[in-house]
Amino acid sequence: MLEIKNLKTRFNTYDGVVKALEGVNLDVKEGEIFGIVGETGCGKSVTSYSLMQLLPRTAEVVSGNMSLDGEDITYASESRMREIRGGEIGMIFQDPLSALNPVMKVKDQISEVIRLHQKEELENRTEKVDSGNERNPYILWSLIFVSIVSLFYFLKLEDSFTDTLAKLLFWSSLVGYVFLPEMESNSYRARTAVAETEMVVESLRQVRLPNPSQVANSYPHELSGGMQQRVMIAMALAGRPRLLIADEPTTALDVTIQSQILDLLKKLQKETGMTIVMITHDLGVVAEMCDRVTVMYAGTVVETGNASEIFSDPKHPYTQGLLSALPGESKELSSIGGSVPDLLDPPSGCRFNPRCSIAKAHCSVDVPLLKGEDYKVACHEVKL
Amino acid sequence: MSFMVKTKLLATHFPIQDFFGRELGLVKAVDGVNITITEGSTFGIVGESGCGKTTLARTILGLEKSTSGSTILGSEMSEGTEETNIEELDRAGLRELRRMIGVVFQDPMGALNPRMLVKDLICEPMVIHNQKEGMRERAKELLKMVGLNPDHLYRYPHQFSGGQRQRIVIARALALEPKMLILDEPTSALDVSVQSQILNLLKDLQKKMGLTYVFISHDLSVIRHMCDRVAVMYLGKIVEESEAETLFSNPLHPYTQALVSAIPSLDPKMRRERIVLEGDVPSPADPPSGCHFHPRCPIAEANCSQVYPDLREIKKGCHTACHLVK
Repeated sequence: MLEIKNLKTRFNTYDGVVKALEGVNLDVKEGEIFGIVGETGCGKSVTSYSLMQLLPRTAEVVSGNMSLDGEDITYASESRMREIRGGEIGMIFQDPLSALNPVMKVKDQISEVIRLHQKEELENRTEKVDSGNERNPYILWSLIFVSIVSLFYFLKLEDSFTDTLAKLLFWSSLVGYVFLPEMESNSYRARTAVAETEMVVESLRQVRLPNPSQVANSYPHELSGGMQQRVMIAMALAGRPRLLIADEPTTALDVTIQSQILDLLKKLQKETGMTIVMITHDLGVVAEMCDRVTVMYAGTVVETGNASEIFSDPKHPYTQGLLSALPGESKELSSIGGSVPDLLDPPSGCRFNPRCSIAKAHCSVDVPLLKGEDYKVACHEVKL
Repeated sequence: MSFMVKTKLLATHFPIQDFFGRELGLVKAVDGVNITITEGSTFGIVGESGCGKTTLARTILGLEKSTSGSTILGSEMSEGTEETNIEELDRAGLRELRRMIGVVFQDPMGALNPRMLVKDLICEPMVIHNQKEGMRERAKELLKMVGLNPDHLYRYPHQFSGGQRQRIVIARALALEPKMLILDEPTSALDVSVQSQILNLLKDLQKKMGLTYVFISHDLSVIRHMCDRVAVMYLGKIVEESEAETLFSNPLHPYTQALVSAIPSLDPKMRRERIVLEGDVPSPADPPSGCHFHPRCPIAEANCSQVYPDLREIKKGCHTACHLVK
């Protein structure tokens, strides 16, 4: 479904060129949950931003090929990208409070997505809506106010011009009082608004928010962290994307809320059959959720394969180190020496070689390529 | 083994005030907590955000004034005299207390002044406590102890990576040779491979210097790895306290069971049936009546919404606050 080939992204900074991505290869199959895992600065998020063309101006995609369902979107036009973002690829970000607009109600934020990406559905529903003769309370009250004020002048004033004006206002407001509210509430705009609210509430119900209509009318700060993240998911799903990119969806949440959200994502995936790409640094989350996993290190893919295989029998020394660094049952905790290299001046050859325990001389010269069929490893020393 | 710090029905409440200072309500951040921290061990406090873990630690440090109850320092901590009550300490006494207890906070960049050299950062506690003699040498020694190069003395915090910054914070906490360290989420801001480095460092230091740790975290696997005894907090109260191994292998309280089952397991074949709790943590300003956990509890009964269950000893050394646990 999604294929990324040999993607290279560079950031131009005052200190030099940061080689953030150095030949990333990914392929995501339809209907699976695909995990991208790695430490801070390994290029997980940059990969997804490159895909969505959301990179800052200082960054550029130097080479590579990204295709969605066979369509090359590497250099897609801005108008096409607008259709893709939210419409075909939905995104959930790490911190829901900074991703949501604090001055817009939840329903307005979600209906924005619906208006942009679900036009047809919205029109169909608008056809069906019959709002009856309900009067818009705002217009009603403003009319009553105008008629009272003009009545006051009508009775008081003798000056001919203002008198006529007041008379005119008074009668027209009475006419408006009788007819206009009906016209207003049956207008296309009003009916669209009803259909929109309907769809917003539906999408909120889909993410199992209790009391969805009340949530729709609240501002983001009135909701708890878990609810905010659910709203984010509802918003991403409102455009009915076929691919959902979840960038650290549970990092900002507590453990019990995290398991709620992960549970929800799994259920939604089953219901809608969409493809999910989970970007996270938490190996436990990946093991729990994903069918296939890619491990990234310093802008390169080091290992790709089935989740069960990677976690039971990791091949690449980095993955091995990462897994044994997790605190678990055993008392001894091993750790990978050194730290993640500076991408301004990455090590030559294999980017992991300075920290690798099995590195040989040629590791610092030749760049290892991703080898293998289904299970791929980028290491000279690993024999598949 | 003697105890370092003991709390008796310790409570820290924060008043919610309106514009004119009238009290509208109370946030019971810590409410009737009894813990005993024994010498040379690691005591873990675990719970979700807002459950009062940090407030408890701050109260033990005397940074927050307790509303009721007391914190008692063991003879080891109170230099000669038998036992001292923190609430009775004067300024000088509190200063002495803070020499005994070092603190490491979550975000190392926030804990280090960006405009101070590492040398000044590490020496600052020694300046404050008037131990200026041989300060520079001591700083170098400390850097070596936490696995940094002594040449790093003349650098600024921004020149270090997250893990190295946390090492600097640890070095500073150790500057006054404390007897006890309070570690407030020391690895939450760090990556897995760096986290394991820091955890190993902490374990080594404990072995070498015989330190006592209070380890606060929301990450249960880290707690399991580090701690001897663990207390689980929920809305200001301790719901379960026992030895780390028993707590994780056989959790008794339904909240602990849910927490333990929420630890994502690494083996995809072994995907356990998770207990997913409904709803969110209630606001500590307005906790539910009876057992604070009952609205989310899968096994709650009618009684649970009326009477708060006291912490009782179920097995030896294993305390749980639940009506239904036998």
